[in-house]
Amino acid sequence: MTKAKIKKDHLKLIFDRLKTSHKIIGPKVEGNVIVLAKIADFHDIPAGYKEQQGRGTYRLGSGKEPQTFSFSVGPDSFKRFMSPPVRENFAFKKSKKGISINQNSSRVREISTAFIGMRACDIAALRLLDKVFLEGPVKDVGYDSLRRNSLIVGINCLYPGDNCFCSSMDAGPEIRDGFDMAVTELDDSFLLEIGTARGREILNGLPIDEVSDKDLSEKVSKIENCKKMIKKSIKVSELPYLIYRNLEHPRWADVAGRCLACGNCTQVCPTCFCNSSYDNLQLSGISKKLPELSGARIRTWDSCFSTNFARVHGGNFRPSRRARYRQWMSHKLAYWIDQFGSPGCVGCGRCITWCPVGIDITQELEALHAR
Amino acid sequence: MHDKSIPFEATIRWIKKETRDTATYALKINSREIQRTYTFKPGQFNMLYIPGIGEAPISISSAPTDHEIMHTIRIAGDVTTYISRLNAGDVIGVRGPFGSSWPLEEIEDRDLMIIAGGVGIAPLRSVIRHILMSGGGKKSPSRTPIGKKFILYGAKTPKDMIFRDEFPRYMDAFQVFLTVDKADPEEYWRGEVGLITGLLNKVSFNPLNTVVFTCGPEVMMQSMTKDLILRGVPGEKIFISMERNMNCGMGVCGHCMFGPKFVCKDGPVFRFTDIEGFLGVKEI
Repeated sequence: MTKAKIKKDHLKLIFDRLKTSHKIIGPKVEGNVIVLAKIADFHDIPAGYKEQQGRGTYRLGSGKEPQTFSFSVGPDSFKRFMSPPVRENFAFKKSKKGISINQNSSRVREISTAFIGMRACDIAALRLLDKVFLEGPVKDVGYDSLRRNSLIVGINCLYPGDNCFCSSMDAGPEIRDGFDMAVTELDDSFLLEIGTARGREILNGLPIDEVSDKDLSEKVSKIENCKKMIKKSIKVSELPYLIYRNLEHPRWADVAGRCLACGNCTQVCPTCFCNSSYDNLQLSGISKKLPELSGARIRTWDSCFSTNFARVHGGNFRPSRRARYRQWMSHKLAYWIDQFGSPGCVGCGRCITWCPVGIDITQELEALHAR
Repeated sequence: MHDKSIPFEATIRWIKKETRDTATYALKINSREIQRTYTFKPGQFNMLYIPGIGEAPISISSAPTDHEIMHTIRIAGDVTTYISRLNAGDVIGVRGPFGSSWPLEEIEDRDLMIIAGGVGIAPLRSVIRHILMSGGGKKSPSRTPIGKKFILYGAKTPKDMIFRDEFPRYMDAFQVFLTVDKADPEEYWRGEVGLITGLLNKVSFNPLNTVVFTCGPEVMMQSMTKDLILRGVPGEKIFISMERNMNCGMGVCGHCMFGPKFVCKDGPVFRFTDIEGFLGVKEI
C-alpha cells in the first residue's frame, strides 16, 4: 500500500495516533500569524484560514474557507527546529590548571518529533539544508540527530500564497519526495500517499479506504490548477550567469537604497543557514576551589546583512548595504549552484512577505536584465 | 578521527618572539589519541580557541614533520592579543586542521617562487621547512625533484621582518630576495627598499616553468599576480592563500564566503584561475 484515502472527519485520528508517540509541530495561529509550533490539540490547526500576503504584508483572514488547508506558509520553516536559532555547541571550564571542554552537553537527546502540514517548499528546503549540514567535510552532529528523530507529514498546496514561485524553482507545489506521508485535500476526503515504512505504520488499524483512479486524477487536476494560480516566477535557466555577469550592475545600488539591512529575509528564509558562535560566560570564581571561568559556546543564527558579518581584524569586507544585499541574493541564486548543485531558493516567497519595505527577489533578479 | 567541531587542548611548549607584534608559538596536543590522528598539510589552518574570548583562524607555520605544531601570530584582535600574553605551559583550545593546502604535486620538476607579504609568510614557512626537511637543501642530495626555488618577501620595515634569523638557512635551497617599504636608518639593511612587485626585476626566472605560491595582503597578491601574468606565468600555476572571516572552518557558518567559494573549506589556498573573476570585485 502506497496510497490510501481517509474521510475528512477522520484526519483527526491520524493526529491522535501521532500524538501517542511524538511531539507534534505544525501550523497554529499565534498573534494573527500562522506559525509552526507545538500542537497539543487537533483543533489548533487553523482549518479554513486564508491569509493575504503581499510585498511586505501579511493579513490573516477569518477562517471561513470551505477547505481545511486553504492557508499557505507563514514565517517559520523546518530551519527553526533542525538548526535552532540558539544552540549549545559545548560547555567549558577554565582554571589555572588549564581548560576542559565538555562536549556531551551538546548531545541532547530529542524525543521523536512529527512535523505536520509541511509544504513542498519546506521539504525541498530541508533537503537543501541536508546538503549544507550533513554532506560537507564535517557532519553537523546536532542537526543530524534532530533530523533523524523527525517524521514528516506533508500537505500538497492547492492554493498558492500570493508571493509563491515554487513551481519555477522545481520545489512544489506537489511534494514528490522526502516525506513519510503526504496529504492532498480532495473534495470529499483526504488522499494519503505513503513515503516510508514509518509513514505506513501510522495508518495501522485506522479506517482507510481504497484509492480510485478518479481520486488520483482529482489530485493531478487540483495541483495543475494550483500551478496556474502562481503569479511570480524566476527563470532558473538564466542562473547563475545572469548574476555573475552583473556583479557591478547599478540595480544593486538601487536596492540598497530601499533595503534596511534588517536581515528579516534571512531569518524567514528556509535555507539561509549562516550562523555565529560566541562564548556565554557564567561568572564564578568566588571560591578558589571553583573554576576561574565556566560557560558554553553558543551557536546562533546570523545574517549576511549584519554589519560585522564579514569583518576580520583589519577591516570589514562588506561595509556597504549594496554589497550585503548582493551577497545575499547572489548566494541564494548563483553561488549556491556552484556550492551545492542547485539554487538555494525554493520559491516560498517568505522573503517578499516579511521584508518591511517589500523588496521582491523575483523583481530584483529581473531588473538585472536592464542595461 | 577527532570531531572538528569541538576544540582539543594543546599546551604551549615554547614561544619565540619574532618582531614587536609577532611571535611563534609551538603547541603540543595534550591527548595522546589526538596526537596520533592529527595530521596536516602545509597551507592549512587551525582555529585557536581561548574560552571566554573566542576563536581565531591561524595558519600553521611548521612543517608536517616538525615535532610541534607552530603558529606564527601577529597581534590583531581579541584572541591574538590574549594569546600574546600567554606563557610556555599554558593551555589553549585548537580545532583543525582546516582547508586546502599548497599543491606540492604542482612543483615537481618545476621552479617554485614563493611570494610573501608581512605575516603572510607564516603559511609559506610550512612549505619552506617541508622542502628543506625533505632534502631540498644544497647540503643533502635533493629528493624532491624541484627546479630553481625563490623566496620573495616584503615587510614594512626590517624590524617587521619575520623569520629573519632563519633566512640564512633558507638560502641552502632558495634564492632569497627581501624588500621593505621603509628602511630604518638606525639599522643596517642590505636588502631592497620598495614594493615587492619591484623585486621581480631582480629575479631571473623562466615564467613558463614557474609555479607561484603567494600569501599576503590582497592588493599585494593582486598586483603581483598581474605582473607575473604579464611576464608570462600561466594563471593556472599561481596559487593564492586568501583571508576571510573564518568562523566554523567547515563551510556551515557562511562568514568566509568569497564569491561562491568558502575560504575555510575550498581555500584558503586557491588556484588563481578559479577565483580570478571575483578577485577585483569590490566588497565581494
